Amino acid sequence: MSNDNEFTGADILLKALKDQEVDTIFGYPGGAVLPIYDAIFGQNFLKHVLVRQEAGAVHAAEGYARSSGKVGVLLVTSGPGVTNVVTGLTDALMDSIPIVCISGQVPSHLIGTDAFQECDTTGITRPCTKHNYLVKDVSKLSETIHEAFKIASSGRPGPVLIDIPKDVQFAKSKYISKKDISFREHRIKAGSKKVDKNFVKELVNHIKKSERPIFYVGGGCLNSGHQASQELIELVNKTNIPITTTLHGLGCFPGEDKSSLGMLGMHGNYEANLAMNKCDLMINVGARFDDRVTGRLDAFSPDSIKFHIDIDQSSINKNVKVNFHTNTDINLTLKEINSFIDTNNIDFGDKDYRNWWGQINEWRKKDCLHYEQGDEVIKPQHAISRLYELTKQKDTFVTTEVGQHQMWAAQYYKFSKPNRWITSGGLGTMGFGMPAAVGAQMANPDSLVIDIAGEASFLMNIQEIATAVQYKLPIKIFILNNEYMGMVRQWQELLHGSRYSESYVDALPDFKKLAESFNAVGVRAKNINELDDTINEMISIDRPVIADIWVDKKENCFPMIPSGAAHHEMLLSKYDKENPENQEKGKVLV
Amino acid sequence: MSSTSVYPTPINAFKQSKRSVLSVIVDNEPGILARIVGLFSGRGYNIEALNVTVVDVKKNLSRITIETLGEEKVISQIIAQLEKLVPVHSATNLANLSESYEAEICLVKIEFENEEQDQKILNFADIYRSRTVQKRQNIVVYEISGTSERINKFLDDLDTIGGIKVELVRSGPIGLGI
Repeated sequence: MSNDNEFTGADILLKALKDQEVDTIFGYPGGAVLPIYDAIFGQNFLKHVLVRQEAGAVHAAEGYARSSGKVGVLLVTSGPGVTNVVTGLTDALMDSIPIVCISGQVPSHLIGTDAFQECDTTGITRPCTKHNYLVKDVSKLSETIHEAFKIASSGRPGPVLIDIPKDVQFAKSKYISKKDISFREHRIKAGSKKVDKNFVKELVNHIKKSERPIFYVGGGCLNSGHQASQELIELVNKTNIPITTTLHGLGCFPGEDKSSLGMLGMHGNYEANLAMNKCDLMINVGARFDDRVTGRLDAFSPDSIKFHIDIDQSSINKNVKVNFHTNTDINLTLKEINSFIDTNNIDFGDKDYRNWWGQINEWRKKDCLHYEQGDEVIKPQHAISRLYELTKQKDTFVTTEVGQHQMWAAQYYKFSKPNRWITSGGLGTMGFGMPAAVGAQMANPDSLVIDIAGEASFLMNIQEIATAVQYKLPIKIFILNNEYMGMVRQWQELLHGSRYSESYVDALPDFKKLAESFNAVGVRAKNINELDDTINEMISIDRPVIADIWVDKKENCFPMIPSGAAHHEMLLSKYDKENPENQEKGKVLV
Repeated sequence: MSSTSVYPTPINAFKQSKRSVLSVIVDNEPGILARIVGLFSGRGYNIEALNVTVVDVKKNLSRITIETLGEEKVISQIIAQLEKLVPVHSATNLANLSESYEAEICLVKIEFENEEQDQKILNFADIYRSRTVQKRQNIVVYEISGTSERINKFLDDLDTIGGIKVELVRSGPIGLGI
């Protein structure tokens, strides 16, 4: 019974993706998705990027989403195809990145029989997705896909998975377009669109009364869109309140602006953490009081009144109790605050928080990011500083792996726009950065995309270099090579008597030759004299480049709030010693 | 003199831990129970009792009632997490409503040996107004309903009779706000 209005499940998927304006999909074929790959073969709106392992697909989709503001999409087969993306889905869930993962499943009649490449996909991915589906009926496929995109991108964004058995990919049904679907509101969880006027009024009143206010801004501001950043900049300029951002908030506010105290938290700036500790008014804009940020909870900002703007109700009062909160979108709320200040002619001009800024400038004099660059061995901090200086005039996106290099990148690379900084924060996934760079370059073909990497992380998804070469993506992998899992070694040094158990990475490849064997380009800087030339050479080459930067092997990342310590108990250099009581407590934390 | 602990003991957390009954309305779809149970186990919350039934066939809704233990902060967090699940319409802590009613049903099978025991059992059954489902020579099955506390008391009282064998099943509490 064939009908002209009926399409196969595979074709319905393609139609829905087109309807959702998806132009790029990262994937890897296999038995249970062959019908979909066949449909991809016969079309030209969708560019498929063949990764080398499914983990690469999911991180690339994350990089694509973060750098473009759109939903990232990936396609994997059943069984191992799916289990390989579990890390990336969890990463996207922790960091609120909108992605949709399409997975193939064994045919319906084989589900539950331990068939070849069968696994309980929805069971395995349930705790690491915002939502997931197993589509057993092709007539439900269109609305499922459209709902998945809506859920992934609404409210607090996150990953959604759609599992499609092979027989459903062949079965036929009508296609229902996006505009003909009416979403059920309770399932979308979009958050309130109505600004809480009382919250706004209270906030402005408290700003007027406060002596030591601070903005604490997180990735939620990023997810609220570029306009949210504009509103934030306007509000900071109006009020002259200092602002600190989390790892994911970097770029929401220009990092070089005088009001910016830089990043806060475990490896945050001295002035940022001290200001958080001593403030009397904290305005949290889309941050979640993560343990890397708060340090010891009972000593976290003891004297402040706390306001919290977060679209996710469960982030409110989870780790830290706040005095006022709203679950409305950040952009809308900030806009209302700005217009409230304007319409009521509230002038903060004479206030200026002069004493507060005086105190902050005292803290700034500590120059907590100071390092001594000698005339031979490259300091990793210096490598990032030079990279920043030599690329800041360009349209640049930076991704990272996880570890010391990531923290140095956050400290020494300054971001002036949102969505330019793509890193794995919540989950801390080594191997994230290079595939994420592939995704970011796909979304921004004309921009400079750099993965700031450590040699250990880079080796975790090294196969994706082939993807970059195949699609002529001129990503730059900037490796701070110290031959150690640097952050592991740092913790062993601080907490485990310098017993460097298994943190030395022996038998490293020659990264230059490795690049050449992949048909990419390898460059190397062994000492300080070669650094600038190497960076300039790397930037000038219009192909994938691996830059192997040999840095000081024993350098540690400071400032540091050791686990279990409070904001005002920072270590500023290797000469600072930790309070032994904290050290014992910190040992059992992460 | 006793040594001081290196870690503070969170006495308050235990002290303030109290029983709550949560009522959750959900779309009746595959996996919803697994989502809820997974949320509890994944985040380290307790489920003391659980009850799931379709309550609206037309709208395809189920009501899930969960008895849990935790301090108020934890209960609020559980509710916020439940409400984030896509198929969840609402999650309510019955204790926060101005008026709500709660019931549980329990079937008890009692095997006894002599008349004295039989008399005592009959006496308790009468006090608690439990319904006789079946009575044989030396076996009786009762149905008792009411709050969980009431059932607990009934079972405690039965416990005072020596030499009888009790087997039982409980539905877990269900509740409704007015």
